[in-house]
Amino acid sequence: MPDMTSLAHPQQRSFNPYSENGGTILAIAGADFSVIAGDTRQSEGYSIQTRYAPKVFRLTDRAVLAVNGFAADGNMFVKKVKQRLEWYRHAHSKDMPLRAIARLIQTMLYARRFFPYYVYNILGGIEEDGTGAVYSFDPVGSYEREACRAAGAAQSLVQPFLDNQIYFKNQTPALGTSHPAHLPLPTVLSIVIDSFTSATERHIEVGDGLEMYVVLAKGRNLQGLEGVRGMQELTVTDDGERVFVVRRDLKKD
Amino acid sequence: METSFALTGKGYVIVAADTTAARSIVKMKVDEDKIKEISPHLLMAYSGEPGDTVQFAEFVERNIRLYQIRNLYPLRPSAAASWIRRSLADSLRSRSPYSVNLLVGGYDTATHEPKLYWIDYLGTQVDVPFGAHGYGSYFALSLLDRYHDPEASLEEGLATLKRCVDEVAKRLVVSPGRYKVKVVDKDGVREVEI
Amino acid sequence: MSIMEYNGGSVIAMVGKDCVAIASDLRLGNQALSISSNFQKVFPVTDRIYVGLPGLGTDVTTLRERFRYRINMYTIKEEREIEPETFAHLVSSTLYEHRFGPYFIEPVIAGLSKTPSGGVKPLIAAADLIGCLNFAKDFVVAGTASTKLLGVAEGLWEPDLEPEDLFETISQTLLNSVDRDAFSGWGAVVHVITKDSIISRTLKGRMD
Repeated sequence: MPDMTSLAHPQQRSFNPYSENGGTILAIAGADFSVIAGDTRQSEGYSIQTRYAPKVFRLTDRAVLAVNGFAADGNMFVKKVKQRLEWYRHAHSKDMPLRAIARLIQTMLYARRFFPYYVYNILGGIEEDGTGAVYSFDPVGSYEREACRAAGAAQSLVQPFLDNQIYFKNQTPALGTSHPAHLPLPTVLSIVIDSFTSATERHIEVGDGLEMYVVLAKGRNLQGLEGVRGMQELTVTDDGERVFVVRRDLKKD
Repeated sequence: METSFALTGKGYVIVAADTTAARSIVKMKVDEDKIKEISPHLLMAYSGEPGDTVQFAEFVERNIRLYQIRNLYPLRPSAAASWIRRSLADSLRSRSPYSVNLLVGGYDTATHEPKLYWIDYLGTQVDVPFGAHGYGSYFALSLLDRYHDPEASLEEGLATLKRCVDEVAKRLVVSPGRYKVKVVDKDGVREVEI
Repeated sequence: MSIMEYNGGSVIAMVGKDCVAIASDLRLGNQALSISSNFQKVFPVTDRIYVGLPGLGTDVTTLRERFRYRINMYTIKEEREIEPETFAHLVSSTLYEHRFGPYFIEPVIAGLSKTPSGGVKPLIAAADLIGCLNFAKDFVVAGTASTKLLGVAEGLWEPDLEPEDLFETISQTLLNSVDRDAFSGWGAVVHVITKDSIISRTLKGRMD
C-alpha cells in the first residue's frame, strides 16, 4: 500500500546539469607569439577536487585552447574540437588555420545554443600571416580577436590589471614617444605570472599550479625563452610554429 | 508621469515641474502647482507619492518660515537643503517614510551664487548644475549635458529648458501636458511663461 | 537590486613610506542613470585622518554628519585631536549601534598616527556595514569596484612607496578598476597624507 499522504501533495523534482569549477585562464598576444595560461586548481564550492586539472590544451602546433567554467563540459568540448581538427587534417593534409579554428569553435558553441557548453573559451596562437592572436568566446559562441583577455573566477581581478599593463590604459606616453603595440615575450610572461600570483592571493578558487603555453611564429628564435625555468617543448611538426609549456607552482592555500 | 527639471545659469536657477495631478490612469487636475516658494530666495519642486508630497512640502515651508521668524534672517540655500535632506533621511528609517523627490533651487544672497540641489526620497542630496526627476530625466539629462551653460543668460536658460520640455513631449509615451516654470535670482522668485 | 549598488561608487586606501593615500571616484547614480559627477565620498576627519564612505548616497551624507559631530565632541572633551586607531573604533561602534538596521556604507579609513619618538606611523582600515574592522598592512578597498580594485592593487602595490609614487600607484589602481565597473567612475579624487602636508588632486579619467 503506497503512502497516500505523500501522493496528496504536489511534488517537484529537478536536476541541475551544470556546475562551476572555478579557476582562471588568460591569454596575451605578442607581435609574433602568443601566451595562453591557466591555473590548475579544480574546485566545487569550498572543496578542492584536484590540484592538477589542466585547463589549457595544445590543439595544433599553432593553436592552444584554454577552457574555463564547468570542467566536464570543458573537457568534452576540447575533445570534440580536437576530433574536428583531426578530421580536417585527414581531409586536407594540413593543420587548420587559427582563424578557421576560431570560426569552428563559434559554430560548435552556437550549435548548442539552447543547452550550452557552460564554458568560456580563449583561443591563442599564430595566424597564417605570422602574427600572434587571441580569440575570446562566450558560452554560446560570440567571439572577438583581441590582444589580451582574462576569463573565469578571477576575471574581474585580472582584466583591469591587463588593461593597464598591456593596453597602457590611463597611462600617457612621454612627449614624443608612444606606447608599444606589442610587448616582448619576457615582459608578457612576467605580467602573466604577476596576474596569477595576484589572483591566487585574493581568490580562493585560484592557485596550486600555473601552466603557460607559448606559441612562437615560424622561424622565430626563442626570444629569451631558453633561459626560463621549467620550460618544455611540445612541438610535433618540423619547421613550423613551435609550442612550449612553462609550469610554475602557485600557492596552495 | 510626473516630471521636473531645474538648471542653473548666470545668477539664476530655473525650476520647472509639470502641472498634472493623476490618480492611476486618470488626470484629476491639470493646473497643479508643484513648485513651492519656501523663502524669499528659495524654490522647491516636489514630486512623488500623492499625499506625502504636499504634506512634506508644507512641513518644510513652515519650518523654514519658523527659522526666519526666530532668527530674523532666512536659511541660505545650502543650509536649507541640508535641513530638508536630513528630514527625509530621518523619515526614511521611521515607521512611515515620506516618498518625496525634490529639486531645491535658490539664490545665495551672501555669496551671490545660484545653487541647485537634487534630493531624492532616500535623502540622497547632491549639488548639481542641472537636475531632473521622473521619467523626463532620462531625456532631459542627456540634453542638459549637451546644452547646459552655467554662464547662460536667462533667455538662453529658458531656451534650453524648452528643449527638455519639447523632447519629453515628443518621446515620452505618458508625457505631461503643461509645465509651471519659476525662476529665482537676486530679485527673488517669480513665475515665467515658456 | 542590491542596495549597496543603488548609487555606485568605490574607495581605496594604500600605505606608503611614512605616508598614506586614499582615493575615490566621483559618480553618484540612480542604478544605471548617472546623476552627478561631483559626489564626494572621502572626507577629512583631522589634519592627518581621512575617511571614505562608499555605499548608499543618503548614508554617505548622514554618516559624514554623524562622524563630524562625534569628532567635534571628542576634540572638545579630550582637548586633543583623535588618533586614527581611536577613530577606526569610533567608526566601528557607530556602525555596530545599528547592527539590525545598518547604514549601507563600508567605510575606509586612512591616517597617520603619532609614535612616541615623534615620528608618524601609517594606518589604514576598512569596515563592513556593521563595523567589523580590518587593519591591513598594504591596502584596503570598498565599493562596487572592490573586486577589480583588489586585483589591480595586488599587482601594482609595493612596500615603502614615496608620496609621489604612492599617488601614481593609487591613481592607476583606481582609474583602471573603475573603468571596468559600470557603477563607478566619472572622475576621481586622490589624497596623499604625509607628515607635514596633504596632497589632494582631482583626476578626470574616462568620463563615461
